[in-house]
Amino acid sequence: MSRASLLRLEGVSKTYRGAARPAVDDLSLQVRAGEIFGFLGPNGAGKTTTIKMVVGLLTPDRGTVTVNGHNVAVDPVAAKADIGFVPDNPDLYDRLTGLEYLNLVADIFGIPKAERSRRINELLEMFELTSAISDVIQSYSHGMKQKLALTGALLHDPPVFILDEPMVGLDPRASRLFKDMMRNHCDKGHVVFFSTHILEVAERLCDRVGIIDKGRLIACGTVEELRERRKQADESLEDIFLELTEPGEGK
Amino acid sequence: MARRTISLVLAQLNMNFAISYSRYYYLKKRQRLWEPVLIGLAIASGAITIAVGVYKVARFFYSATAPIGQGDVTLTLGILASQVIVLILGFVLVIAVFYFSNDLSILIPLPLRPAEVLASKFAVILANEYLGLAVFVIPVLVAYGLLAGVGAVPYAITAVLVFLALPVVPLVIAAIPAILLMRVAGLSRRKDTLAMIGGFMFVALVVGFQIFIQTRAPGRGEEAEFLTRVLSTANSLVDIVGSRFPPSIWATKALAGAGTLSGLLNLALFLGAGALAFAALLAIGNRVFYQGVLSGFEAAARSNDRSAARLRADRYAERSPVASLAVTEMKLFARTPVFALNGFTGFVMFPVMFVVIFFVRRTPEMARIWESFISAPGFEAIGALVVGAHFLALTAFSSIPFSAFSREGKRNIWIPKTLPVAGRTVALGKAVAAEIMILLGALPGVAVLEYMVRLPLVSLAAGIALGVISSFTLCLWGVLFDMRRPMLNWTDQQKAVKSNLNTLFGALFGIAAIVALGFVVHLGLKAGVAGWAVVAVVGGIATVLLVAAIRVLDAAADRIWRSLEV
Repeated sequence: MSRASLLRLEGVSKTYRGAARPAVDDLSLQVRAGEIFGFLGPNGAGKTTTIKMVVGLLTPDRGTVTVNGHNVAVDPVAAKADIGFVPDNPDLYDRLTGLEYLNLVADIFGIPKAERSRRINELLEMFELTSAISDVIQSYSHGMKQKLALTGALLHDPPVFILDEPMVGLDPRASRLFKDMMRNHCDKGHVVFFSTHILEVAERLCDRVGIIDKGRLIACGTVEELRERRKQADESLEDIFLELTEPGEGK
Repeated sequence: MARRTISLVLAQLNMNFAISYSRYYYLKKRQRLWEPVLIGLAIASGAITIAVGVYKVARFFYSATAPIGQGDVTLTLGILASQVIVLILGFVLVIAVFYFSNDLSILIPLPLRPAEVLASKFAVILANEYLGLAVFVIPVLVAYGLLAGVGAVPYAITAVLVFLALPVVPLVIAAIPAILLMRVAGLSRRKDTLAMIGGFMFVALVVGFQIFIQTRAPGRGEEAEFLTRVLSTANSLVDIVGSRFPPSIWATKALAGAGTLSGLLNLALFLGAGALAFAALLAIGNRVFYQGVLSGFEAAARSNDRSAARLRADRYAERSPVASLAVTEMKLFARTPVFALNGFTGFVMFPVMFVVIFFVRRTPEMARIWESFISAPGFEAIGALVVGAHFLALTAFSSIPFSAFSREGKRNIWIPKTLPVAGRTVALGKAVAAEIMILLGALPGVAVLEYMVRLPLVSLAAGIALGVISSFTLCLWGVLFDMRRPMLNWTDQQKAVKSNLNTLFGALFGIAAIVALGFVVHLGLKAGVAGWAVVAVVGGIATVLLVAAIRVLDAAADRIWRSLEV
């Protein structure tokens, strides 16, 4: 039985004003319930632009983005209600305390008091942030801000969890916790869509990966499928990635 | 080292005026080319209008004072007024640029002396001051030069030098206490609060002192003697006015005597005072500047078991999205020293002005005039209108609603943009926050006014109601305006409010609204309409505009919000 697509991009394109070529060009992909999807690509390939279109920070020139059945362009509030998002650089409101920030997020998502108390405590304990939560965010380290952003994004248990370079700034322990949490999140029938440069993580963690280069999706599938397509059974994801994005650079 | 400093100053100026940024977006990428053209035209036409007005006033003033041998006072007053403005606004500017610039974390690790970084930041402030002062000072210098018949070349050279040195001394006078305050505040856990309180105290002191001096009239029976003394000595008015701030006399005498030995001596004194002040600033800055900046990078963390225990007991406040956004907005505004110092300065200045004027002017003559004023027919209604105008003026000049989205900056705008909240909700939350802050800020001024004027309760209530309606209307329009075209690309927080054209437009809208409503009141009273009827008409107009703003909010805010790309 095929699982429902919680995230679907169809023919999505985006060209920045004044740019010679599109940042994202006719990109189509879908992520099914229960999947961890790794979005890979070299610098400037269009990963962040794609993610920004999914979460409503940019409007596509063409194509549609659908989140859990809601077209982001038509009903952005309903679509965003089903998204948890963590950007590559989690700049939060420095002059709020961690708890004030989480309360803001919980208020917007309409999470009732008892539920938010339980979720916040659970997530803070997981990320070992409890003792710092009454401090202003300005006093947090980069990793702590990252963990707080993750906590905020997970408060409402989002069906679609989107992350731009999530491993940056996390210590090994938090990174391990986070990977376990991603798996658990997907086991509940949700999806995780994340961009990364760390190919080992993507290879080990992702059910499927998509490789984007110069705005176009040049490969998509499980790592096994990509190997089969290239008829190189012993290739690592790194070799595949290098060969696809810079032919001749692979093994 | 000099080359290094020059290079640093050029880089700072480049960032301040967004030169490379504009070249890239407008010339290379050719994005929104109409924008700089339109903005340039708007600024130029505004600046020319003001400059022409100042020029006419200066000519008139010179023509009136020259026959009694007091023509030079035109220069003194122009120079002194501009220096006082630099002094009042300089304090906030210094704190913002010296201590809250985004690039400090890049500059401090570089092998630069604190004085070099300080000098480059000072150059940025000076460059901004020149732009503002040009509109007010150059017309005065030109008017005097044309009318006084001074030698063209020496006068022009002196005028350029005086103009360039003009803001240095007042800026240093503002900068030294600011640096010392930030050093002391840096020792405290509550450094932001201390910085804000110090800032407000400085502004209150300067404004209070200035008004006290200006309103200190000669005592009863002394007027004739005072005038005779002034008129008997050529340019003694210059000495009286300038005695409060000697550099303004030196600048006047340098200009009036341009090309003569006395002129040169006064010019040397004026430039020397500037150089000495600047050297003193660098010397002090070299010792304490970095300590203040570095303490700003340290935020007080209280992480301990107690805070963990408190978390469990903490209330998980549950609010509606609008209320939550409004509360967040108020916390962010009030806790950010640069925003609070800019936005709340008017809240401090107005009551201080009222109090000083009230106490200084409590002479029997003034009391008589005051009595006749408050017992005039229709006074209660006019009082209500004054209270309403006070709210509107604070809203226009606070910059709070007109920078509501700009203040988020590139760093934080992603937060509301990715949360599941409609544009109208975000805009309403920000407008409500602005209105609450303005309402709270207006109350001290209203209390002082009430103490002075003793308005009946009904007038006070009507005035506050009128004020809330009109200021909330302006808040809604302001927030929508800033949502449509937010300035997100700023390098320091000061730019988000002070270099933001939206806040300038806000002030202009506010002034236009006050003038227009004032005109309506004038017409009404002139036509013999009862005072309260005029209040009702003004209230009606404000309500119609409020309804229109709510309609626009409902109809367009979501679309505007969606179209905002980050």
